[in-house]
Amino acid sequence: MTDQHEDPKFDAWLKDVARTTYHAPRTTPREEMWARIAAERQRRAGRVIELRPWMRWAVAAAAVLVLGIGIGRWTVRQQQQPAGGVTPVATSSDSSRDSSRDLAYEVAATQYLSRTEAFLTSFRADAHTSASSARFATQARDLLTTTQLMLDSPAGSDPHLRALLEDLELVLVQISELNGGAHDTDLITQGMNQSNVLPKLRSAIPAGPGPVRTQGVL
Amino acid sequence: MDESTLIARVRAGDSAAERTLYDAHVDRVYRLAFRLAGDDALAQDFTQETFIRAFDRLGSFRGEAAFSTWLHTITTTVVLNGLRKVKRLRQRETDIDDAQAIGVRKRESEPDLKMRLTKAIDELPEGYRTVFVMHDVEGYTHEEIGAALGVETGTSKAQLSRARAKLRVALADFAGEWTT
Repeated sequence: MTDQHEDPKFDAWLKDVARTTYHAPRTTPREEMWARIAAERQRRAGRVIELRPWMRWAVAAAAVLVLGIGIGRWTVRQQQQPAGGVTPVATSSDSSRDSSRDLAYEVAATQYLSRTEAFLTSFRADAHTSASSARFATQARDLLTTTQLMLDSPAGSDPHLRALLEDLELVLVQISELNGGAHDTDLITQGMNQSNVLPKLRSAIPAGPGPVRTQGVL
Repeated sequence: MDESTLIARVRAGDSAAERTLYDAHVDRVYRLAFRLAGDDALAQDFTQETFIRAFDRLGSFRGEAAFSTWLHTITTTVVLNGLRKVKRLRQRETDIDDAQAIGVRKRESEPDLKMRLTKAIDELPEGYRTVFVMHDVEGYTHEEIGAALGVETGTSKAQLSRARAKLRVALADFAGEWTT
């Protein structure tokens, strides 16, 4: 099929103009980037050991998600298998599968939200010293990993939860980039207050003691 | 030294070989990152991340395709994911700016070709823009684009054709530039 928009003159002109004007790059800063690559690789290699205790947070959240999915699926399979082994076509199984899965994700989300709430409350209270800024930045990076994991999981398909997760992602990115400046800390705290992220976070966490909720579900 | 030997030396932990491999490919990676990001700091970040991932994952490179093809797959993944993330983080500010700009379209007050062209390309859908930049601006072949983006060559050609068509409409005011 010949495209009605085909115009060799235009194509040649466009290519020529775009090559010279569209985001024309400067000379490649080879040395500068090489130095940063070397430093970043070294930093990442060291961080594996340094942050191992904190990485458990992300791993634990991932494990809860996977466990939740597994238990949800296993439960549904049990419910779907009658004595004769014939799978019924009844639509009720669909709703029970959905509710089991939703419950599992809710548990994972609740655990993650509770940790994030504790972290942000603590950050707002005592992030003003440069030593604690570094500690908070490290913790924020790890929570950020979990947040992104949550955003990409089915838990992130809930519009309300997704909006909250995106707000949290923004705050955590800012905290993770803290370099000890009190001004930066104030700006982040102000932003948190303006977006009401903590109240939203607290209202997203179901009432009742965590362990009871968890044991009740899993 | 051929590239497969160089890669073998990098795998063996030869840091001089790493630098040689970097020097051989960094220009193209940085140029593509810059063209897509339109910002030097972002382009440097994306280039840095591309090479870090490439060195970390070199063990999984089987040599079935050219190293440059494999590297550009990483580049486009890093750049496009990075740009989506930046876009999301800037969304709030953009929403406010857009709301204020409604009804104040400045089509006639932007006669500058460079500005109009940049705006028109920036506003292309992501897939069209990526193919257009790779093919028409940076000179990649459709085969290279297809391999990097994980799409058929025909898809790449179709997207380029649609991108050009959209740009032709967007730049209609400048028709005299290419018809004369």
